[in-house]
Amino acid sequence: MAGSYSGAATAEGDPEADGDVGPAVSDRTVRRIGVGISVAFAAAVLAMLAFILVINPRSRVDPDLLVTIVPRFFEAWLLVLGIFLAGSVSSVFFGIFVGLGRVSNSSITNSIASVYVEFFRGTPLLFQLIVIFFGIPALWPPGAFPIENFAVPAAIIGLTLNHAAYVGEAIRGGIGSVPDGQMEAARSLGMSYVQSMREVVLPQAWRNALAAIGNDQVILVKDTSLLTVIAVPELISEFRDVNSATFDPWTPIVLVAVAYLGITLPLGKAVRYLEARSDWGGDDR
Amino acid sequence: MDRRTYLKSGAGAATGLLLAGCVGGTGGSGGETETITIGSDIPYRPFEYETESGELTGFDVEIAQAVFEEEMGLDYEFQKTSFDGIIQSLNNGNFRVIMSAMTITDDRDEQVDFSDPYFTAYQTIVVLNDSDIDERSDLKGTSVGVQKGTTGAGAAEGLKEEFDGDLTLKKFDQINGAFNALINNQVVAVINDNTVNAEFVANNDNVRFVEGEGEAAAQGKNAPPYLTLTVEEYGIAFREDDDDFREEVNDALAAIRDSGAYEEIYANYFSG
Repeated sequence: MAGSYSGAATAEGDPEADGDVGPAVSDRTVRRIGVGISVAFAAAVLAMLAFILVINPRSRVDPDLLVTIVPRFFEAWLLVLGIFLAGSVSSVFFGIFVGLGRVSNSSITNSIASVYVEFFRGTPLLFQLIVIFFGIPALWPPGAFPIENFAVPAAIIGLTLNHAAYVGEAIRGGIGSVPDGQMEAARSLGMSYVQSMREVVLPQAWRNALAAIGNDQVILVKDTSLLTVIAVPELISEFRDVNSATFDPWTPIVLVAVAYLGITLPLGKAVRYLEARSDWGGDDR
Repeated sequence: MDRRTYLKSGAGAATGLLLAGCVGGTGGSGGETETITIGSDIPYRPFEYETESGELTGFDVEIAQAVFEEEMGLDYEFQKTSFDGIIQSLNNGNFRVIMSAMTITDDRDEQVDFSDPYFTAYQTIVVLNDSDIDERSDLKGTSVGVQKGTTGAGAAEGLKEEFDGDLTLKKFDQINGAFNALINNQVVAVINDNTVNAEFVANNDNVRFVEGEGEAAAQGKNAPPYLTLTVEEYGIAFREDDDDFREEVNDALAAIRDSGAYEEIYANYFSG
Protein backbone atom coordinates (compact mmCIF):
# COMPACT_ATOMS: atom_id res chain seq x y z
CA MET A 1 0.00 0.00 0.00
CA ALA A 2 2.53 2.55 1.15
CA GLY A 3 4.82 1.62 -1.72
CA SER A 4 2.30 2.50 -4.39
CA TYR A 5 1.78 6.00 -2.98
CA SER A 6 5.43 6.93 -3.07
CA GLY A 7 5.87 5.18 -6.42
CA ALA A 8 3.12 7.21 -8.04
CA ALA A 9 4.39 10.47 -6.60
CA THR A 10 7.95 9.75 -7.68
CA ALA A 11 6.89 8.91 -11.19
CA GLU A 12 4.94 12.12 -11.65
CA GLY A 13 7.28 14.52 -9.87
CA ASP A 14 4.56 17.19 -10.07
CA PRO A 15 4.22 20.04 -7.56
CA GLU A 16 1.58 19.83 -4.85
CA ALA A 17 -1.96 20.80 -5.87
CA ASP A 18 -2.03 24.16 -4.06
CA GLY A 19 1.54 25.32 -4.81
CA ASP A 20 2.30 27.49 -7.80
CA VAL A 21 6.01 26.64 -7.78
CA GLY A 22 7.67 23.21 -7.87
CA PRO A 23 8.93 21.65 -4.62
CA ALA A 24 12.45 22.64 -3.60
CA VAL A 25 13.59 19.02 -3.63
CA SER A 26 12.06 16.20 -5.57
CA ASP A 27 10.60 13.16 -3.86
CA ARG A 28 13.36 11.05 -5.29
CA THR A 29 16.02 13.21 -3.68
CA VAL A 30 14.27 13.06 -0.31
CA ARG A 31 14.09 9.30 -0.63
CA ARG A 32 17.80 9.08 -1.39
CA ILE A 33 18.68 11.37 1.51
CA GLY A 34 16.54 9.22 3.79
CA VAL A 35 18.28 6.03 2.68
CA GLY A 36 21.67 7.72 3.05
CA ILE A 37 20.97 8.97 6.57
CA SER A 38 19.59 5.64 7.78
CA VAL A 39 22.47 3.65 6.30
CA ALA A 40 24.97 6.07 7.84
CA PHE A 41 23.21 5.76 11.19
CA ALA A 42 23.23 1.96 11.07
CA ALA A 43 26.89 1.94 10.08
CA ALA A 44 27.75 4.28 12.96
CA VAL A 45 25.89 2.07 15.45
CA LEU A 46 27.57 -1.07 14.15
CA ALA A 47 30.97 0.58 14.26
CA MET A 48 30.33 1.70 17.83
CA LEU A 49 29.23 -1.80 18.84
CA ALA A 50 32.28 -3.33 17.19
CA PHE A 51 34.48 -0.81 18.98
CA ILE A 52 32.83 -1.49 22.35
CA LEU A 53 32.57 -5.24 22.14
CA VAL A 54 35.61 -6.24 20.11
CA ILE A 55 38.22 -3.58 19.42
CA ASN A 56 38.54 -1.47 22.57
CA PRO A 57 40.45 -3.54 25.14
CA ARG A 58 39.05 -1.60 28.12
CA SER A 59 35.45 -2.50 27.43
CA ARG A 60 35.79 -5.93 25.95
CA VAL A 61 33.24 -8.51 27.01
CA ASP A 62 34.94 -11.15 29.14
CA PRO A 63 33.80 -14.61 27.95
CA ASP A 64 34.81 -16.34 31.20
CA LEU A 65 32.83 -13.89 33.31
CA LEU A 66 29.96 -14.12 30.85
CA VAL A 67 29.71 -17.87 31.33
CA THR A 68 29.97 -17.50 35.10
CA ILE A 69 27.17 -14.98 35.41
CA VAL A 70 24.73 -16.39 32.85
CA PRO A 71 22.93 -18.66 35.40
CA ARG A 72 22.16 -15.82 37.81
CA PHE A 73 20.97 -13.60 34.97
CA PHE A 74 18.77 -16.42 33.73
CA GLU A 75 17.27 -16.73 37.21
CA ALA A 76 16.68 -12.98 37.27
CA TRP A 77 15.16 -13.17 33.80
CA LEU A 78 12.72 -15.86 34.93
CA LEU A 79 11.76 -13.72 37.90
CA VAL A 80 11.18 -10.67 35.69
CA LEU A 81 9.15 -12.81 33.30
CA GLY A 82 7.02 -14.12 36.17
CA ILE A 83 6.45 -10.66 37.61
CA PHE A 84 5.61 -9.34 34.14
CA LEU A 85 3.11 -12.15 33.44
CA ALA A 86 1.36 -11.70 36.79
CA GLY A 87 1.37 -7.90 36.48
CA SER A 88 0.27 -8.02 32.87
CA VAL A 89 -2.72 -10.32 33.38
CA SER A 90 -3.95 -8.50 36.46
CA SER A 91 -3.35 -5.00 35.08
CA VAL A 92 -5.32 -5.77 31.91
CA PHE A 93 -8.07 -7.46 33.93
CA PHE A 94 -8.46 -4.60 36.40
CA GLY A 95 -7.77 -2.04 33.68
CA ILE A 96 -10.91 -3.12 31.81
CA PHE A 97 -12.97 -2.34 34.90
CA VAL A 98 -11.18 0.98 35.37
CA GLY A 99 -12.01 1.82 31.75
CA LEU A 100 -15.65 0.82 32.22
CA GLY A 101 -15.74 2.92 35.38
CA ARG A 102 -14.42 5.89 33.41
CA VAL A 103 -17.31 5.69 30.92
CA SER A 104 -19.90 4.85 33.58
CA ASN A 105 -23.11 6.88 33.63
CA SER A 106 -23.08 6.81 37.42
CA SER A 107 -21.31 9.93 38.61
CA ILE A 108 -20.02 8.15 41.73
CA THR A 109 -18.35 5.28 39.83
CA ASN A 110 -17.13 7.69 37.23
CA SER A 111 -15.50 10.11 39.64
CA ILE A 112 -13.91 7.37 41.75
CA ALA A 113 -12.43 5.82 38.60
CA SER A 114 -11.20 9.24 37.53
CA VAL A 115 -9.51 9.92 40.87
CA TYR A 116 -7.90 6.48 40.70
CA VAL A 117 -6.50 7.13 37.25
CA GLU A 118 -5.34 10.62 38.10
CA PHE A 119 -3.51 9.42 41.22
CA PHE A 120 -1.77 6.41 39.71
CA ARG A 121 -0.95 8.21 36.49
CA GLY A 122 0.02 11.37 38.32
CA THR A 123 2.58 9.89 40.70
CA PRO A 124 5.72 7.98 39.70
CA LEU A 125 5.69 4.19 39.85
CA LEU A 126 8.85 4.37 41.95
CA PHE A 127 6.97 6.42 44.54
CA GLN A 128 4.11 3.91 44.54
CA LEU A 129 6.54 1.03 45.03
CA ILE A 130 8.16 2.83 47.96
CA VAL A 131 4.75 3.46 49.54
CA ILE A 132 3.77 -0.19 49.20
CA PHE A 133 7.07 -1.78 50.21
CA PHE A 134 8.34 0.64 52.86
CA GLY A 135 5.18 2.50 53.85
CA ILE A 136 2.51 -0.16 54.30
CA PRO A 137 4.52 -2.62 56.49
CA ALA A 138 5.54 0.26 58.77
CA LEU A 139 1.90 0.46 59.91
CA TRP A 140 2.54 -2.74 61.91
CA PRO A 141 4.70 -2.81 65.06
CA PRO A 142 8.36 -3.74 64.42
CA GLY A 143 8.71 -7.32 63.24
CA ALA A 144 4.96 -7.93 63.23
CA PHE A 145 4.22 -7.46 59.52
CA PRO A 146 2.66 -10.81 58.55
CA ILE A 147 3.89 -11.21 54.96
CA GLU A 148 7.48 -12.37 54.65
CA ASN A 149 9.23 -11.90 51.32
CA PHE A 150 6.91 -9.01 50.57
CA ALA A 151 9.11 -7.56 47.81
CA VAL A 152 7.72 -9.63 44.92
CA PRO A 153 4.06 -9.28 46.01
CA ALA A 154 4.66 -5.55 46.51
CA ALA A 155 6.13 -5.37 43.01
CA ILE A 156 3.14 -7.09 41.44
CA ILE A 157 0.68 -4.95 43.41
CA GLY A 158 2.51 -1.76 42.43
CA LEU A 159 2.81 -2.66 38.75
CA THR A 160 -0.84 -3.73 38.65
CA LEU A 161 -2.17 -0.57 40.31
CA ASN A 162 -0.06 1.64 38.09
CA HIS A 163 -0.66 -0.09 34.78
CA ALA A 164 -4.36 -0.72 35.41
CA ALA A 165 -4.70 3.07 35.28
CA TYR A 166 -2.99 3.23 31.87
CA VAL A 167 -4.87 0.21 30.51
CA GLY A 168 -8.09 1.78 31.82
CA GLU A 169 -7.38 4.94 29.84
CA ALA A 170 -6.65 2.87 26.72
CA ILE A 171 -9.96 1.03 27.16
CA ARG A 172 -11.80 4.31 27.71
CA GLY A 173 -10.25 5.65 24.50
CA GLY A 174 -11.22 2.45 22.70
CA ILE A 175 -14.82 2.70 23.89
CA GLY A 176 -14.91 6.38 22.95
CA SER A 177 -13.85 5.57 19.40
CA VAL A 178 -16.77 3.18 18.88
CA PRO A 179 -19.52 5.24 17.21
CA ASP A 180 -22.46 6.08 19.51
CA GLY A 181 -24.76 4.49 16.96
CA GLN A 182 -23.46 1.05 17.92
CA MET A 183 -24.67 1.39 21.49
CA GLU A 184 -27.91 3.02 20.34
CA ALA A 185 -28.59 0.26 17.83
CA ALA A 186 -27.90 -2.45 20.40
CA ARG A 187 -30.17 -0.76 22.94
CA SER A 188 -32.94 -0.33 20.38
CA LEU A 189 -32.77 -4.08 19.70
CA GLY A 190 -33.75 -4.55 23.32
CA MET A 191 -30.33 -5.37 24.78
CA SER A 192 -29.56 -4.06 28.25
CA TYR A 193 -26.67 -1.63 28.80
CA VAL A 194 -24.47 -4.46 30.09
CA GLN A 195 -25.39 -6.72 27.19
CA SER A 196 -24.75 -3.99 24.61
CA MET A 197 -21.46 -3.17 26.24
CA ARG A 198 -20.33 -6.78 26.39
CA GLU A 199 -21.61 -8.01 23.06
CA VAL A 200 -21.31 -4.97 20.83
CA VAL A 201 -19.17 -2.13 22.15
CA LEU A 202 -16.33 -3.84 24.06
CA PRO A 203 -15.28 -6.22 21.24
CA GLN A 204 -14.87 -3.21 18.95
CA ALA A 205 -13.29 -1.10 21.69
CA TRP A 206 -10.80 -3.88 22.41
CA ARG A 207 -9.54 -3.75 18.84
CA ASN A 208 -9.13 0.00 19.03
CA ALA A 209 -7.41 -0.16 22.40
CA LEU A 210 -5.12 -3.08 21.61
CA ALA A 211 -2.19 -1.07 20.25
CA ALA A 212 -2.18 1.22 23.28
CA ILE A 213 -2.50 -1.72 25.70
CA GLY A 214 0.30 -3.61 23.97
CA ASN A 215 2.47 -0.54 24.17
CA ASP A 216 1.71 -0.26 27.87
CA GLN A 217 2.61 -3.90 28.49
CA VAL A 218 6.02 -3.36 26.89
CA ILE A 219 6.49 -0.43 29.25
CA LEU A 220 5.47 -2.72 32.13
CA VAL A 221 8.36 -5.07 31.27
CA LYS A 222 10.78 -2.16 31.37
CA ASP A 223 9.26 -0.80 34.58
CA THR A 224 10.41 -3.95 36.39
CA SER A 225 13.86 -2.33 36.38
CA LEU A 226 12.62 -0.02 39.15
CA LEU A 227 12.24 -3.03 41.43
CA THR A 228 15.97 -2.89 42.14
CA VAL A 229 15.10 -0.24 44.72
CA ILE A 230 12.99 -2.66 46.77
CA ALA A 231 15.69 -5.36 46.60
CA VAL A 232 13.98 -7.65 44.10
CA PRO A 233 16.86 -9.60 42.50
CA GLU A 234 15.86 -8.63 38.96
CA LEU A 235 18.11 -7.83 36.01
CA ILE A 236 19.30 -4.36 36.99
CA SER A 237 20.08 -5.59 40.52
CA GLU A 238 22.15 -8.40 39.05
CA PHE A 239 23.93 -5.91 36.82
CA ARG A 240 24.78 -3.66 39.76
CA ASP A 241 25.87 -6.64 41.80
CA VAL A 242 28.23 -8.01 39.17
CA ASN A 243 29.45 -4.57 38.23
CA SER A 244 30.28 -3.54 41.78
CA ALA A 245 32.11 -6.81 42.41
CA THR A 246 34.07 -7.05 39.14
CA PHE A 247 34.17 -3.39 37.97
CA ASP A 248 33.30 -4.76 34.53
CA PRO A 249 30.22 -3.00 33.15
CA TRP A 250 30.12 -4.36 29.60
CA THR A 251 29.81 -8.07 30.23
CA PRO A 252 26.66 -7.73 32.36
CA ILE A 253 25.32 -4.92 30.12
CA VAL A 254 25.24 -7.33 27.19
CA LEU A 255 23.31 -9.88 29.23
CA VAL A 256 20.83 -7.30 30.52
CA ALA A 257 20.12 -6.11 26.98
CA VAL A 258 19.62 -9.66 25.72
CA ALA A 259 17.40 -10.50 28.69
CA TYR A 260 15.04 -7.52 28.28
CA LEU A 261 14.80 -7.95 24.52
CA GLY A 262 14.13 -11.63 25.17
CA ILE A 263 10.84 -10.54 26.70
CA THR A 264 9.91 -7.39 24.78
CA LEU A 265 10.55 -8.69 21.25
CA PRO A 266 8.29 -11.78 21.57
CA LEU A 267 5.77 -9.58 23.37
CA GLY A 268 5.77 -7.11 20.48
CA LYS A 269 5.22 -9.99 18.08
CA ALA A 270 2.35 -11.32 20.19
CA VAL A 271 0.71 -7.89 20.25
CA ARG A 272 1.02 -7.56 16.46
CA TYR A 273 -0.51 -11.01 16.07
CA LEU A 274 -3.46 -10.07 18.29
CA GLU A 275 -3.88 -6.81 16.41
CA ALA A 276 -3.86 -8.60 13.06
CA ARG A 277 -6.37 -11.13 14.33
CA SER A 278 -8.79 -8.50 15.56
CA ASP A 279 -8.41 -6.23 12.51
CA TRP A 280 -11.22 -5.76 10.01
CA GLY A 281 -11.27 -8.83 7.80
CA GLY A 282 -8.25 -10.08 9.69
CA ASP A 283 -9.18 -13.75 9.56
CA ASP A 284 -7.06 -14.44 6.53
CA ARG A 285 -3.81 -13.24 8.08
CA MET B 1 8.63 31.61 6.32
CA ASP B 2 7.95 33.72 9.37
CA ARG B 3 7.80 30.71 11.60
CA ARG B 4 11.12 29.42 10.35
CA THR B 5 12.87 32.70 10.97
CA TYR B 6 11.41 32.70 14.46
CA LEU B 7 12.67 29.16 15.09
CA LYS B 8 16.09 30.00 13.78
CA SER B 9 16.46 33.07 15.92
CA GLY B 10 15.13 31.10 18.89
CA ALA B 11 17.73 28.40 18.38
CA GLY B 12 20.40 31.03 17.96
CA ALA B 13 19.42 32.70 21.19
CA ALA B 14 19.42 29.36 23.03
CA THR B 15 22.88 28.51 21.69
CA GLY B 16 24.10 31.93 22.73
CA LEU B 17 22.80 31.42 26.25
CA LEU B 18 24.42 28.00 26.46
CA LEU B 19 27.75 29.40 25.31
CA ALA B 20 27.48 32.27 27.77
CA GLY B 21 26.81 29.73 30.51
CA CYS B 22 29.92 27.76 29.63
CA VAL B 23 32.11 30.82 29.44
CA GLY B 24 30.71 32.14 32.73
CA GLY B 25 31.33 28.76 34.36
CA THR B 26 34.99 28.57 33.48
CA GLY B 27 35.60 32.25 34.16
CA GLY B 28 34.12 31.97 37.64
CA SER B 29 36.31 29.17 38.94
CA GLY B 30 39.54 30.48 37.49
CA GLY B 31 40.80 32.76 40.23
CA GLU B 32 39.53 31.04 43.37
CA THR B 33 41.07 28.22 45.40
CA GLU B 34 40.65 24.74 44.03
CA THR B 35 37.52 22.88 45.06
CA ILE B 36 37.90 19.18 45.82
CA THR B 37 34.78 17.26 44.87
CA ILE B 38 34.18 14.29 47.13
CA GLY B 39 31.97 11.43 46.01
CA SER B 40 29.92 9.93 48.81
CA ASP B 41 26.90 7.73 49.28
CA ILE B 42 24.70 9.89 51.50
CA PRO B 43 23.02 9.04 53.90
CA TYR B 44 25.25 6.61 55.77
CA ARG B 45 24.82 7.65 59.34
CA PRO B 46 27.01 8.54 61.26
CA PHE B 47 29.64 8.96 58.52
CA GLU B 48 27.71 11.19 56.18
CA TYR B 49 24.13 12.27 56.60
CA GLU B 50 21.94 15.34 56.56
CA THR B 51 20.40 16.79 59.68
CA GLU B 52 16.68 17.57 59.72
CA SER B 53 17.45 21.06 58.48
CA GLY B 54 19.35 19.64 55.52
CA GLU B 55 22.87 20.38 56.74
CA LEU B 56 25.44 17.76 55.72
CA THR B 57 27.38 16.38 58.64
CA GLY B 58 29.06 13.21 59.89
CA PHE B 59 32.47 11.74 60.64
CA ASP B 60 33.70 11.77 57.04
CA VAL B 61 32.42 15.29 56.54
CA GLU B 62 34.31 16.62 59.56
CA ILE B 63 37.45 14.70 58.59
CA ALA B 64 37.16 16.22 55.10
CA GLN B 65 36.86 19.65 56.64
CA ALA B 66 39.91 19.06 58.86
CA VAL B 67 42.01 17.58 56.05
CA PHE B 68 41.08 19.62 53.00
CA GLU B 69 40.04 22.95 54.45
CA GLU B 70 42.05 23.34 57.63
CA GLU B 71 45.23 21.44 56.75
CA MET B 72 45.48 21.90 52.99
CA GLY B 73 43.60 25.18 52.52
CA LEU B 74 41.33 23.83 49.81
CA ASP B 75 37.60 24.13 49.33
CA TYR B 76 35.67 20.89 49.31
CA GLU B 77 32.18 19.83 48.36
CA PHE B 78 30.37 16.54 48.70
CA GLN B 79 28.60 14.98 45.76
CA LYS B 80 25.91 12.37 46.30
CA THR B 81 26.34 9.14 44.40
CA SER B 82 25.30 5.52 44.73
CA PHE B 83 27.75 3.22 46.47
CA ASP B 84 27.65 0.29 44.07
CA GLY B 85 29.01 2.34 41.18
CA ILE B 86 31.17 4.73 43.18
CA ILE B 87 34.59 3.48 42.03
CA GLN B 88 33.71 3.66 38.35
CA SER B 89 32.20 7.07 38.95
CA LEU B 90 35.55 8.19 40.41
CA ASN B 91 37.50 6.73 37.49
CA ASN B 92 35.07 8.37 35.05
CA GLY B 93 36.05 11.72 36.53
CA ASN B 94 32.82 12.63 38.30
CA PHE B 95 34.73 13.64 41.44
CA ARG B 96 38.31 13.84 42.70
CA VAL B 97 38.21 11.47 45.69
CA ILE B 98 35.84 9.11 47.51
CA MET B 99 35.06 9.56 51.18
CA SER B 100 32.19 7.23 51.86
CA ALA B 101 33.20 5.03 54.79
CA MET B 102 34.93 2.94 52.17
CA THR B 103 36.77 -0.19 53.23
CA ILE B 104 40.16 -0.82 51.66
CA THR B 105 39.97 -4.16 49.85
CA ASP B 106 42.32 -5.84 47.39
CA ASP B 107 39.70 -5.83 44.63
CA ARG B 108 39.04 -2.15 45.05
CA ASP B 109 42.77 -1.43 45.32
CA GLU B 110 43.23 -2.74 41.80
CA GLN B 111 40.92 -0.04 40.48
CA VAL B 112 41.88 2.93 42.66
CA ASP B 113 44.56 3.96 45.17
CA PHE B 114 43.75 4.39 48.83
CA SER B 115 45.07 6.83 51.41
CA ASP B 116 46.41 5.56 54.70
CA PRO B 117 43.59 4.02 56.74
CA TYR B 118 41.65 6.55 58.81
CA PHE B 119 39.15 4.28 60.53
CA THR B 120 38.79 0.68 61.68
CA ALA B 121 35.43 -1.02 61.31
CA TYR B 122 33.90 -4.44 61.78
CA GLN B 123 31.09 -6.21 59.98
CA THR B 124 28.37 -6.90 62.50
CA ILE B 125 24.89 -8.40 62.66
CA VAL B 126 21.80 -6.55 63.88
CA VAL B 127 18.54 -8.36 64.65
CA LEU B 128 15.20 -7.54 66.26
CA ASN B 129 15.17 -7.63 70.08
CA ASP B 130 12.98 -10.73 70.27
CA SER B 131 14.90 -12.60 67.57
CA ASP B 132 16.21 -16.07 68.37
CA ILE B 133 19.46 -15.44 66.48
CA ASP B 134 22.31 -15.54 68.97
CA GLU B 135 25.31 -16.64 66.93
CA ARG B 136 26.39 -16.63 63.31
CA SER B 137 25.32 -20.24 62.63
CA ASP B 138 21.74 -19.33 63.58
CA LEU B 139 21.56 -17.29 60.38
CA LYS B 140 21.56 -20.44 58.24
CA GLY B 141 18.36 -20.71 56.22
CA THR B 142 17.27 -17.13 56.90
CA SER B 143 17.35 -13.96 54.85
CA VAL B 144 19.63 -11.02 55.60
CA GLY B 145 19.54 -7.44 54.39
CA VAL B 146 22.64 -5.67 53.06
CA GLN B 147 23.53 -2.68 50.93
CA LYS B 148 24.55 -3.24 47.31
CA GLY B 149 28.28 -3.29 46.68
CA THR B 150 29.34 -2.95 50.33
CA THR B 151 31.73 -5.12 52.32
CA GLY B 152 28.66 -6.05 54.38
CA ALA B 153 27.25 -7.63 51.23
CA GLY B 154 30.63 -9.32 50.76
CA ALA B 155 30.58 -10.67 54.32
CA ALA B 156 27.05 -11.97 53.76
CA GLU B 157 28.17 -13.68 50.53
CA GLY B 158 30.94 -15.29 52.61
CA LEU B 159 28.36 -16.56 55.11
CA LYS B 160 26.25 -17.86 52.26
CA GLU B 161 29.18 -19.93 51.01
CA GLU B 162 29.83 -21.13 54.53
CA PHE B 163 26.18 -22.31 54.74
CA ASP B 164 26.40 -24.01 51.30
CA GLY B 165 24.10 -21.41 49.77
CA ASP B 166 21.45 -21.70 52.47
CA LEU B 167 21.12 -17.96 53.05
CA THR B 168 19.03 -15.41 51.14
CA LEU B 169 20.57 -11.99 50.52
CA LYS B 170 18.35 -8.99 49.97
CA LYS B 171 20.41 -6.17 48.56
CA PHE B 172 19.14 -2.63 48.98
CA ASP B 173 20.29 0.59 47.35
CA GLN B 174 20.95 2.22 50.68
CA ILE B 175 21.44 0.83 54.15
CA ASN B 176 18.22 2.46 55.34
CA GLY B 177 16.31 0.14 53.02
CA ALA B 178 17.85 -2.85 54.78
CA PHE B 179 17.08 -1.37 58.22
CA ASN B 180 13.48 -0.75 57.13
CA ALA B 181 13.25 -4.31 55.87
CA LEU B 182 14.42 -5.58 59.27
CA ILE B 183 11.76 -3.57 61.07
CA ASN B 184 9.15 -4.63 58.48
CA ASN B 185 9.87 -8.35 58.91
CA GLN B 186 11.36 -8.78 55.44
CA VAL B 187 14.77 -9.91 56.68
CA VAL B 188 15.79 -11.41 60.02
CA ALA B 189 19.14 -9.64 60.21
CA VAL B 190 21.17 -6.80 58.70
CA ILE B 191 24.90 -7.21 58.12
CA ASN B 192 26.78 -3.93 58.03
CA ASP B 193 29.57 -1.83 59.51
CA ASN B 194 29.57 -1.78 63.33
CA THR B 195 29.43 1.99 63.76
CA VAL B 196 26.50 2.44 61.41
CA ASN B 197 24.71 -0.48 63.01
CA ALA B 198 25.48 0.98 66.44
CA GLU B 199 23.90 4.28 65.45
CA PHE B 200 20.80 2.39 64.28
CA VAL B 201 20.65 0.34 67.50
CA ALA B 202 21.09 3.50 69.59
CA ASN B 203 18.22 5.24 67.79
CA ASN B 204 15.87 2.28 67.78
CA ASP B 205 14.60 0.43 70.85
CA ASN B 206 13.49 -2.64 68.91
CA VAL B 207 16.83 -3.89 67.62
CA ARG B 208 20.05 -5.28 69.10
CA PHE B 209 23.46 -6.55 68.07
CA VAL B 210 24.20 -10.26 67.88
CA GLU B 211 26.82 -10.61 70.61
CA GLY B 212 29.84 -12.83 70.96
CA GLU B 213 33.49 -12.94 70.03
CA GLY B 214 34.48 -12.90 66.42
CA GLU B 215 37.16 -11.91 63.99
CA ALA B 216 38.25 -8.86 65.97
CA ALA B 217 38.99 -10.93 69.07
CA ALA B 218 40.71 -13.57 66.93
CA GLN B 219 43.03 -10.89 65.55
CA GLY B 220 43.76 -9.64 69.05
CA LYS B 221 42.20 -6.23 68.44
CA ASN B 222 40.48 -4.21 71.09
CA ALA B 223 37.25 -6.07 70.38
CA PRO B 224 33.79 -4.57 70.82
CA PRO B 225 31.22 -6.62 72.77
CA TYR B 226 29.29 -7.68 69.67
CA LEU B 227 30.05 -10.43 67.19
CA THR B 228 32.40 -9.28 64.44
CA LEU B 229 32.52 -11.04 61.08
CA THR B 230 35.46 -9.14 59.59
CA VAL B 231 37.90 -6.41 60.48
CA GLU B 232 38.24 -3.63 57.91
CA GLU B 233 39.92 -0.31 57.45
CA TYR B 234 38.49 2.74 55.72
CA GLY B 235 40.50 4.81 53.33
CA ILE B 236 40.03 7.79 51.04
CA ALA B 237 40.06 6.59 47.43
CA PHE B 238 41.98 8.37 44.66
CA ARG B 239 42.36 7.77 40.95
CA GLU B 240 45.53 5.85 40.22
CA ASP B 241 47.17 8.79 38.46
CA ASP B 242 46.67 11.10 41.43
CA ASP B 243 49.69 10.09 43.54
CA ASP B 244 50.96 13.56 44.44
CA PHE B 245 47.62 14.62 45.78
CA ARG B 246 47.31 11.33 47.67
CA GLU B 247 50.66 11.91 49.38
CA GLU B 248 49.57 15.39 50.42
CA VAL B 249 46.34 14.02 51.86
CA ASN B 250 48.25 11.31 53.73
CA ASP B 251 50.43 14.02 55.29
CA ALA B 252 47.34 15.98 56.24
CA LEU B 253 45.75 12.87 57.78
CA ALA B 254 48.89 12.31 59.86
CA ALA B 255 48.86 15.97 60.85
CA ILE B 256 45.30 15.88 62.19
CA ARG B 257 46.13 12.75 64.17
CA ASP B 258 49.13 14.55 65.70
CA SER B 259 47.24 17.74 66.44
CA GLY B 260 44.44 15.94 68.27
CA ALA B 261 41.80 17.11 65.79
CA TYR B 262 41.16 13.51 64.76
CA GLU B 263 40.57 12.41 68.37
CA GLU B 264 38.16 15.27 68.88
CA ILE B 265 36.10 14.39 65.82
CA TYR B 266 36.22 10.70 66.72
CA ALA B 267 34.93 11.39 70.22
CA ASN B 268 32.09 13.45 68.75
CA TYR B 269 30.70 10.48 66.91
CA PHE B 270 31.92 7.36 68.65
CA SER B 271 31.92 7.86 72.38
CA GLY B 272 31.91 4.15 73.19
